[in-house]
Amino acid sequence: MAVDIIVPKDLWEEEVEGVIVAWLTEEGASVRKGDVVAEIMVKKVQFDILAPAEGRVRILKKADEIIRKGDVIGRIE
Amino acid sequence: MTTVTSNVRKQTIARAMAEAIAQEMRTDPRVFVMGEDIGQLGGVFGNTRGLFEEFGPERVRDTPISETAFIGAAVGAAADGMRPVVELMFVDFFGVCMDAIYNLMAKNTYFSGGKLSIPVVLMTATGGGYSDAGQHSQCLHATFAHLPGMKVVAPSNAYDAKGLMISAIRDDNPVIYLFHKALQGMGWLGTEPASIVHVPEEAYTVPIGKAATVREGRDVTIVGITSGVHHALKAAEQLEQKGVSAEVIDLRSLVPLDREHVINSVRKTGRLIVVDEDYQSYGVTGEIIASVVEADISMLKSPPKRVAYPDIPIPFSRPMEQWALPNPAKIVAAYESMVK
Repeated sequence: MAVDIIVPKDLWEEEVEGVIVAWLTEEGASVRKGDVVAEIMVKKVQFDILAPAEGRVRILKKADEIIRKGDVIGRIE
Repeated sequence: MTTVTSNVRKQTIARAMAEAIAQEMRTDPRVFVMGEDIGQLGGVFGNTRGLFEEFGPERVRDTPISETAFIGAAVGAAADGMRPVVELMFVDFFGVCMDAIYNLMAKNTYFSGGKLSIPVVLMTATGGGYSDAGQHSQCLHATFAHLPGMKVVAPSNAYDAKGLMISAIRDDNPVIYLFHKALQGMGWLGTEPASIVHVPEEAYTVPIGKAATVREGRDVTIVGITSGVHHALKAAEQLEQKGVSAEVIDLRSLVPLDREHVINSVRKTGRLIVVDEDYQSYGVTGEIIASVVEADISMLKSPPKRVAYPDIPIPFSRPMEQWALPNPAKIVAAYESMVK
């Protein structure tokens, strides 16, 4: 069953956009639950995005894309 | 049923540095970290993230803004048997602590007749491109590489960043570890995607003093370090479109300098371009060219070329800074001027 990789709604407080700095894995790679899969940046502050499950990564939003809280940026299959 | 799955574990240079330091701290109680904002903040360039939480304030020590004091303290601690990893936040700030660096750290092993070793790792951020002006954007490669008594390393990607950091911490000599801000993977400084590469989880070393051929070619050798390697790789792609096969060498270390590696490549290609974000005159570019010319001038088909920072303080204005920085187009133009 696929699990979405979501930017947590409570990761930062203000209603501002962020950006994906880098994916630390790649399309189709296998990850463990809790691995850091991406870094995002909001106003010079960086946050880790963790794998919500074990499985293979599908990337839905690429590095440099603008994101908002709650966005689905990828999926674990 | 077998399925082949890649297990890619990419890291930014910032993460790779922090992981290397953490792994050495776990196995060697003599290793500790000092510097400005390297504790709870995790370093302004991210390279000590997670260390304070794991090792606490005794081994991950935030210091007051006095490089004179805390780099001097690191040199003393090293002489007394510790293995400090100390951060000079921007290499541009070296002025206030240079006595500790080049009169004490670099020389005390010699002055003690070999009785003392000074195993300091001094890590410091280099480079510009993001309009931080003349006191926060320099590389100063040659300033440190020129002074005997210290090793000098500078990674262009996360794999080398981890391996060189572990080598530096285990080395009994002082090591200057230069990391370029634009390769660090901190979005606001500009991020070079090619610096974010697979990094094994286990500890490993990359030897200090060994260059690497990062792209093979026949027609010209392009030598660089940190940002220069990425400019060279992009230039090599553009040259390939024109039917030119460029070899790219990443020096990785400035001291010791792997002259043999460069000479062997130029023996094959017959042409040499050296790229450096440090100032041109009296710099790394001239040293590389001199090393090749001294070895055998007859292997050069044309005079070598330099693509380096002009001899001016770094401008704040974005158009002016971008004009001054090395870039792939300047490397391609240098090649074209060689074969005209």
